[in-house]
Amino acid sequence: MLKKDLLELCLLQLLAGGDKYGYEVLTPLRAAFPDTQESAIYALLRGLGKSGCTEWYMSPGGGGPDRKYYRLTASGLARLEELRGQWRTMRDAIASFGVV
Amino acid sequence: MDRVKKAKPLTCEQYLKKFSRAVRWRLPSQESEEAIADYRELIFQEERDETKLVEELGDPVQAAHLLTDVKTYRRWLAVFAVLAFGLFLLVKWAWTAMIPFRFYEIRAWWYPVWVMAVGLLLSLYWFRRHGQKNGPMSRRLALALGAVFLLGAGSMAWSWYVTSPGFLEFYRQTYPDSIPWQVILQRELLVEGGMACAVTALAGLVLAKCYDRRWLALYTLGVTVAAMFGFVEFCMVRMDISAGEPELFRAYVFARILPVGAVGLIGTGVALC
Repeated sequence: MLKKDLLELCLLQLLAGGDKYGYEVLTPLRAAFPDTQESAIYALLRGLGKSGCTEWYMSPGGGGPDRKYYRLTASGLARLEELRGQWRTMRDAIASFGVV
Repeated sequence: MDRVKKAKPLTCEQYLKKFSRAVRWRLPSQESEEAIADYRELIFQEERDETKLVEELGDPVQAAHLLTDVKTYRRWLAVFAVLAFGLFLLVKWAWTAMIPFRFYEIRAWWYPVWVMAVGLLLSLYWFRRHGQKNGPMSRRLALALGAVFLLGAGSMAWSWYVTSPGFLEFYRQTYPDSIPWQVILQRELLVEGGMACAVTALAGLVLAKCYDRRWLALYTLGVTVAAMFGFVEFCMVRMDISAGEPELFRAYVFARILPVGAVGLIGTGVALC
C-alpha cells in the first residue's frame, strides 16, 4: 500500500462521515500528512471524481458564496471497503514483525 | 507528490492567476475552468493564511502539473509543435525568400500555401473538438483581426499597383538603373508584414488555448496573410518580371492568391463560430 493509497483511504473515510466541501476535506488530511501539499490532495480528490467514486453538488456556504460539496457514490463506498481490506492486511503483516 | 518546495510568497490573486495560466495551457478547456473554480473556492477561504499559501497548496505550476493528463497534454503539445513549426517556416521564408529543399515538382511559391493548408485544417479540427468559447467575443480580438485584415488587403492592393504594366513601364523608361521606392515599400510590406502576421498567428494560437477558442481566428487570418505574402514574395524573387509581359505575372499571381485568401477568410469565419 503506497502513501497515495493511504491518502485515498483517509479521504474516502472522511467523506463516508458525511458530505464535505473542498477545504473541509483538505485541511484535516494536510494536518495528518504534513509533508503533503493540498494541491496533491486536491488532485486525488479530482481523480476520485473522474473515476466515479465521488460526485459533487453546489450548496450555499455559511453566508458566503455557494460551495462545492463532495459526496461518496456507491462505487466510492466499494473502493473504500477495498482499501480498508488492504489496510488491515498490511497492518497485520507489519504487526507480525512486532511493529506496534 | 509530497515534495515541499520553498517558494516566494504570493497573494491569493497572484496565485490564482499563475495557476489559471498553467492549468489553461495544460488541461482541456472545460476541465481547466472547473479546476480554476475549485481553486478559487479553496484559496479565498476566510481561514486561509495568505502568507502560507504556497507552502500549503504548493507551487501553482506544480499544482497544475498534478492535474495534467499526460497523454492529452502531449497530444496538444504535438499539435502546437506542428503549428508553431509552420509559423517558423513562414517567418524564415519571409525573411530569406529561400527554400533549400524541393518536394517533387511543387514550385517554391506554393510551399507557404501548403503550410497554411495544414495549419488551417489541423488547428480548426483540434479547436472545434477540444476548444471552448468563453463569454462574448473580445474587443481586442476584433481589433487584432481588423488590423491583420487591413495589412493583408492593403499590401495585396499595393502589390497589384506595383506590378501593373503601366507603372513598371513608366519606371523602366524614366529611371532604368534604380529600384522605385514603391517596389521597396512592397518588399518591406511582404517581408516585415509576413513575419508580423506569423508572430500574431502564434499569439492567437496561445490565446485560443488559454482563454477562448475564437482567438483561433487570429491564427487562421495571420497564417493566411503570411502565406499570401510568402507566395507573392517567392513569385517576385523567382520570376523575372521584366522578361515577359508584366500583365501575365500579375494575372498569374492574383488568380491564385485570391482564392487562397478566400479560403483563409472562410477558415477565419469558421474559427469565430
